[in-house]
Amino acid sequence: MAIEEDPEAHELEALRTVVSFEGRRVLEIGCGDGRLTLRYSHAAASVVAIDPDAESVAALAAERLPNVETRAVGADRVEIAPQSLDVVLFAWSL
Amino acid sequence: MVHALRRAHRMLAADGLVVDLHPTAAESAIEVGAEVTGFVAAGDAIERHAAADSALAAVLESGLFLVDQVAAFTFYTYADTIEELREYIEENWRDARLDDPTVARARKALQRSPGARPRSRERVVVTTLRRAQMR
Repeated sequence: MAIEEDPEAHELEALRTVVSFEGRRVLEIGCGDGRLTLRYSHAAASVVAIDPDAESVAALAAERLPNVETRAVGADRVEIAPQSLDVVLFAWSL
Repeated sequence: MVHALRRAHRMLAADGLVVDLHPTAAESAIEVGAEVTGFVAAGDAIERHAAADSALAAVLESGLFLVDQVAAFTFYTYADTIEELREYIEENWRDARLDDPTVARARKALQRSPGARPRSRERVVVTTLRRAQMR
């Protein structure tokens, strides 16, 4: 079975109490290999998932999620149009 | 960190939200069932988490954002063996390590509870910030 992170989905449950991703345009900063992205992105209109760790981002990109764009870049260098997002999610990255 | 939050403010629509997830400054425990066998020695983690709190406080003070909601939860990471959990934490958590006594106590606890899986326990806070209406 190996390593299993948050199998109880406490993280997603807590997120759902404070934000809805339904139809939202999301920037996720610190997506890593997409552990969290995979759990909420189906509800979002679009997700730009970024992380400076190219290897981890490649793992998420390999999932080929239709509404998720991945970029191997840090928060200080990502280019996003002003006022174009509904949610900026700092995923254990602040 | 403050710079990243300022950039987020520019990217967000007028009714947009910042959502921040980060662990609290509390030590992360190693558990076998209900037994705590020790804590993760996490290098500068307490300082880093405190810096995240300070960054949030700074952008609130600046008037860019208002606190919308705050919630907390427990995040568990399970492994099949304590050796596997130790390797995972030391490879994936920045500057973190499990000391030998914690690992030894976990081994003994696993002998007493052969069906249990060792796990780490972290307390995490999720905060949403609403973009303040600028005059």
